[in-house]
Formats: sequence, C-alpha cells, structure tokens
Amino acid sequence: MKTVFEKSVKGRTGVQPSALDVERYDYASSLLRDAVVLPELSEAEVAAHYTALSKRTFGVDDGFYPLGSCTMKYNPKLHEEIAALPGFRDAHPLARADKMQGSLAVIDTLSAYLAGITGMDAVTLQPAAGAHGEFTAMLMVKKYHLSRGDKARTKVLIPDSAHGTNPASAAMAGFEVVTVRSGADGCVDLADLSLKAGEDTAALMLTNPNTLGKFEKKVTDIARIVHDAGALMYYDGANLNAIMGVVRPGDMGFDLVHLNLHKTFSAPHGGGGPGSGPVCCKAALAAYLPDPQVMRTEKGFRFRRSDWSAGRVGAFYGNFGVYVKALAYIVSLGGKGLRAAAETAVLNANYLREKISYFYPVGEGRCMHEFVLSMRKLRDETGVTAADVAKALIDRGIHPPTMYFPLIVEDALMFEPTETVNKETLDRTAEALKEIIDLAYTRPEELHSAPHTTPVRRPDEAAAARNPVVKG
Amino acid sequence: MADYLSVSDAERAAMLGLIGVSSVSELYSDLPKELRRKKFALSEGRSQQETYAALAELAGRNATYRSVFRGAGSYVHYIPSAVKSLTSREEFLTAYTPYQPEISQGILQATFEFQTMMCNLTGMDVATASHYSGATAAAEACVMCADKSKKVVTFSNVNPDTAETMRTYLGARGIELEVLPAYEGTADLAGAEGYGAVYVESPNYYGIVEDVAAIAAAAKAKGGKVIVGCNPLALALFKAPGELGADVVVGDAQPFGLPVSFGGPYLGYMAAKKEFMRKLPGRIVGETTDADGRRAFVLTLQTREQHIRREKATSNICSNQAHCALTAAVYLSLAGPRGLKEIAVKCASNAHYLAKGLAHAGAKLFYEKEFFHEFVTITPGKASALAAALERKGILGGLPIDKHRTLWCCTELNGKADMDEVIRIAEETL
Repeated sequence: MKTVFEKSVKGRTGVQPSALDVERYDYASSLLRDAVVLPELSEAEVAAHYTALSKRTFGVDDGFYPLGSCTMKYNPKLHEEIAALPGFRDAHPLARADKMQGSLAVIDTLSAYLAGITGMDAVTLQPAAGAHGEFTAMLMVKKYHLSRGDKARTKVLIPDSAHGTNPASAAMAGFEVVTVRSGADGCVDLADLSLKAGEDTAALMLTNPNTLGKFEKKVTDIARIVHDAGALMYYDGANLNAIMGVVRPGDMGFDLVHLNLHKTFSAPHGGGGPGSGPVCCKAALAAYLPDPQVMRTEKGFRFRRSDWSAGRVGAFYGNFGVYVKALAYIVSLGGKGLRAAAETAVLNANYLREKISYFYPVGEGRCMHEFVLSMRKLRDETGVTAADVAKALIDRGIHPPTMYFPLIVEDALMFEPTETVNKETLDRTAEALKEIIDLAYTRPEELHSAPHTTPVRRPDEAAAARNPVVKG
Repeated sequence: MADYLSVSDAERAAMLGLIGVSSVSELYSDLPKELRRKKFALSEGRSQQETYAALAELAGRNATYRSVFRGAGSYVHYIPSAVKSLTSREEFLTAYTPYQPEISQGILQATFEFQTMMCNLTGMDVATASHYSGATAAAEACVMCADKSKKVVTFSNVNPDTAETMRTYLGARGIELEVLPAYEGTADLAGAEGYGAVYVESPNYYGIVEDVAAIAAAAKAKGGKVIVGCNPLALALFKAPGELGADVVVGDAQPFGLPVSFGGPYLGYMAAKKEFMRKLPGRIVGETTDADGRRAFVLTLQTREQHIRREKATSNICSNQAHCALTAAVYLSLAGPRGLKEIAVKCASNAHYLAKGLAHAGAKLFYEKEFFHEFVTITPGKASALAAALERKGILGGLPIDKHRTLWCCTELNGKADMDEVIRIAEETL
C-alpha cells in the first residue's frame, strides 16, 4: 500500500482554515523556512488512507487477543464518550484549580479507589505508562533511603522472570540491578534472595502473579526477608487483573505499587499508548510522591507540593483522559465487579490451559490469569518454532500470544485470555492450536511459511535493523 | 451493574467441571490463607446510564470558556472532525504495540509516516514513534546527550514543567542541570563551561523566537550537543532547527489535533541527526521487505530497548503515546503544508494584533523581541486582577506568571471580536 506521501498530489488540501480577520503579520525572511514537505490530500483521500490502514490493524474487537502480560480485555465504548465530554476535553490544565474542580475530583476519586484496591495509602496518577510508574516508584525508593541518611542502598533486586522494563527502570533511577534466580517452580528462590538481600539493597521489584502466571506463594516470607534487610517491596502491577478484589498487594507486604490503567482498568492501548501508570504507596512513602499532588480541603480540591518529592516526572498531571476511562470502569464494575472480572480471567485461563493439556504438555498445577507454554518439545520433534505457531494462529483469526517471554522458559508462548472473551472463542482457540500442532507433525513447511492470509509475511527485521530506513 | 463479562452461569459451571474444581475460589488455592481471609469493602457497581450520569456531573463541575488566551504548553486549536472520526476506529484505538507486523501494518505504516512528518518539520534524519510528553522527551534527550560530562545547561526561559522533569531524570543519573538566567527573555550561553549538552527552546516559554544558530555555534565550540525544544506548529513558518545546528529536536505535538484534556494525553516527539540513530530512547518503525519481497514496516533497532537489553537499554520506555502520534499524522495529512502554514500565520497574526491592542490598553509587551503566538505583558496592577476580570466574562485570559506579568497565547480560534473584547476589558481593568 502506498504511503500518504506517495498519494500526495500538489495543490490538494484537507482543511481550509477560516480567513484572517486581522492584519497579517509577516516575519523577516531570514527567520523563515522553505515549504515543509507534508502530504497534500483532500479530506476524502485522507479518510480513505487511514481507513485502509485501520483494516491492516488488528484490534480487540477483531478477534481473540490473548497477548500475555498485556491484558487485552474489551474496552467499553461508553468510556470514549465520557472522556470526550466538553467539560473534560476542553479543560485547560493551567486554568485556576477552583474552576477545574471536576477534573481534580476525578483525580482524587480515582486515587482513592486505587488505594482501596491495592491496600495502599497514597497515590500519584502522574506517570504516563507502566514503565514510567516503575521509574517513578524507584525514584521514591531512592528518596526514602536518602532521607533516612542511608546512602549505601544502591542495588535493586529483580527476579530473572521479570519484564525488561523493571531492570531498565531501576537503572534509569540510578540503581545497580541484581538478578534473583527463580526456583524450579518458577517462583522466587528464597535462598538466593536471602543471599542477595542486604545492607546495600534498596528494593525488590516483584510481579505477583509472576510472568509465568504463578502466584508467589511465599510472598509474605519474601517480604520479611526484604524488610529485614531494610529494603522496600515494590509491586509491578502488570498482573493485577488476576487478583483485584480478591487480595491486595498492601496486605502481602508491598510498600509501593504501580498499576496499568490501560490494561487492568480497561482503557484502550491505542496501538502502543497512551497508557497510564499510577503509583500507590504506604503512608511512610507518601512524602516522596512526585509533584504536584491533589489534596482535599474544606474549600474544595487544590494542588500542593512536597518538600521531599521525588520531583516532577512529566508535563502537567499525566494522561488525564485515561483516568476518566479507568474511573468510569471502576464506577461501573464496583468492587464486586472487579472481583468477578479477576475470577473470570483466572477461570478462562485455566479453562483454555486445561483444553490444551489434552494434546500438549502445559506443566504442573494450575495457573492464575495467564499461562506459559514451552514449544521446545514441538521444536525438537518437528522443527516448528514458537514463532511458527504464533504466525499460524494469525491465519486462524487469532492474535498470537506473547512470544519468547519470560526468558526463563524456552520457546515460550504466553497466553492471557482475559475475562471478556467467551467460552466459544476459548474452545475454538484450543481447536486451532491442536490443528496447528498436528500439522507440525505432518506438513511443517506450511507452518514455517505462515501466515498466508496477511498483506505481508515475515518481514525481514534483521535487514531493517542493519540498514535502517526510518522515514519515507 | 455493567461487568463486560461474556459467560453465563451454565457455561461457568461447565468450565469449572472441565477444569475439575467445584468453584472459582479453588483456583486461588495458591494464595496464602491469611491473605484470603483479609476482609476489605467491595462496593456495588452501577449501570452504564448511572456511570455516564456520575461522570457527566463531574465534567459539569469544570468551567467552560467562550474563548481561551492561555497556552504555556497546552494549546486550544480547531480539530477537524475527520481527525477524531478516523482515529476512533477500534482497530487503531484498541490494538496493542505492534509486535506482530503481519497484522499491524496499518499502525506501523501510520507511525512511519508520522516519523517522516516530524523529520520533515524539524530537518532531522530520524524520529522516534513518540514519548509521554514534550517534558519527558526533553529529559530523555538530555540524558542521551549528556555523555561523560555529567552536566547539562539550560535557561530560565524554558517551560518550567520541562525544566523540572529534566532535573528529575538527570538527577537520577547523577547529572547536573545548570539553569542560566535569561535576562532579556532570550538564551545566553556566555560563561557556561564543562557541559555535555545544552537545551534551548524556540519559541521559548515566553513565546520568543531564539537565535538557535548562535546558541548552537557557541555550544559546538565547546563540544556540547544541542537539543532544541520546539512547538512543532511554529516549524510551519520558521527555519527548521536542523538547518540551524541542532543535534536533537524535541517538543510536544499536542497542537496537532489533540484536545487540551486537562494536560494529557499529549504527544512528546524526538527527532535527531543520523549519528544518534542507535542511541535514541523509544520505539522506532523502519521499512523492510517481507519474505515475498513486498514492502513492510516493523519495529526496528530493538536492541536499544528494554525487552532485549534490560538494564543496559537506552530507556525503559515501552508503552508510548502511539494513538496520539496517529492523531497528529491524520491532522497533518489533512492540513498539508499550506493549511499548516496558514494556521501558524493566523496564530501569529492574532497574537500580534492582541499584543498591540493590550499595549494600548496599558499592558505593555515585556520583551521587545520577535515572538510566535505567545507573549508576555506587564501591567501596573496585579496580573491576577486582569485574569479575574476576564474570567467573569467567560474568557480564559493569559496566564499570570508573577505579580505583574502575564503570558498570553492566541491561536486560530480567536476571532478579532474576541480579542477586541479582551482589549476592552483590559482597558477597563487597568
């Protein structure tokens, strides 16, 4: 398909700005540039171009989207309408706070709900994405230790099963990363943790349920080891969808939490953002939250700053439009609905896993809201890889699961069905997977060359990186 | 109660039966008992109708204004209907990051086209897919450019949120941020030493067009990298920073079709010279060919990124502002080069008309410098008194930045009649 630049025809335009009704201001020619190269198209042509592009994009409404760790649940249409209400859409961030009480109420109310859901005391909504929340939390951890005169805590412990954002965020906050091993069950190896936790440890970053879809059974023991070493417990909220309304990170011994409003709380992911990554913390850490904070007074809500703040982490107050959607979601579901969502997400994952177990090994025990298959056996026996299976799923109308993650599982495929998918889809997915695995033993070449139904097939990523062409 | 589930009681029972458990709570048997016993309040949900009403009530508590003369990093522009309509298509709205290129060519191509537009506007060779905001784009660019010098220099006339964000990001890595005073409203590098990079904005926080070429030459003479922050709408008129010696250009592209939305989501962008290609933070889309030789788009240069390099990555960024980048691309496709220039000319012409009128009314221009669509006035009376007088008439006036100074902004939405009204109210108040 041609690019929007290749479709451009000189002299066309898609907007006619209204005429000037004051004198035109002209700058000295030395300041001015030559014409900018931008597409020249009519509105109809622009509409056709982007509609065609949308048809080459797979959204949550287009089919099953079991992308592990990404919680691709249905995004309610109502929320888009609410976020676009003129009172929210047209609210200028620098209007006086007393004129923007609705926006501040959204921030305050959502913060209160999130504190309740996580079992924490204070919240910032400012981080714009999950990784941004991790970074913010690590800055708070740093401030906390420094404010106590404890300068030796330079290391952050992170399990080998963690998302790559954890070590990257800790490093950005100026910490050294120490990897903690997982045991044979995929959970944190307590012996290794005990060995590594010490006077130089600032925090442990933990995802629970972890990226294998297993609940860290010994989480309270983990918390004790970390706290005994004088360090803090940080909860990566990527997998909160399994447990919201059931148990709370604050009760497990965590001191800080980040959440993903764009995953767990139904805001759409937008093809890669905008997200929102609030940080919730215990009272002892509240002073270190980024500026500004919203506070409730007798005269209404206002902004305030803290002398001990970790600083500002972005422009204004974060991705406000996303807060509105998450708040609408929490108001609609209520605590009971959130719990039902978590339970159904866990039910769906266990159901799909059980169905797969009839024809492929899925490992021991049960899972939480997601599970990981190792395609190593299939690769050894047939040469068909995890990527081949993923691409073959595309031909069957299913978005592939997360591939080759977590790193501690060979040839991993990570499935997260979420709660909004129906049983029929899960049944069909198990059948599709069985058909693909059967095919691996009979006609593997069909899988090596999949997908066969898409506009492009297996783009050469190595060539793209070797000779980057990054603009048209 | 709206729950968005798709399972009947009968199906639930059948599924539990197949799994071999009697209830969902058995699936949670790995959770320690003491945690599961812990009681906490669970509220009831509400219907969609009730939810809409509750949130609409909150939206109604915000003031709405007939006309807006406030910018300072958040700009009210006309948004063509096609922008919202096209970007609201569920494929764009609900997809994840395009990890699977075969079923993501739409979003990948749109991002590639956005990168191209930003390169063309800034005069740079490579642009990233997006950043959280102009503030974090500036901060990450500073971290990238600081190198071993451990010091970045900027000026007191850059956006204060951006400066604070830079301080947070740089401080975390042990890099000093030195803020030089801008006495006449413009940047002056004289006397600065030992820095790895300089961050300058043009137009700056006061709306003034800086002499970027002079700053860049001075910085380069000392071996410093040059990062320029730009409202990209100004680039429809003014020389591209790439022509003036910039190494990296950053900013917020919110003016390209995104509503002000109480400060976000906005659109941080970063564009750079070729030599920074493999050092850049964030996602980049590249062109390649597929197994059948067809053109295809993919996420590229991923070895810079956190999911591969973990703690050695150039940034931790994962989710960015992809949908906002799509929005800007649709906006720019509609506006085209002439439309965008006309919009920029209208913003600038309105601002100069208002500045002149306010000066007659007693609010003098504080900096006698060339400006784009923002400018600072000084009034004998309190700046907040004028803002309050306008507020009473349903107008969001300029932003009081201290006791006597106000930062004004005009866009193409402000008509002559609106501006005449502001001038009249200023005359009455001052």
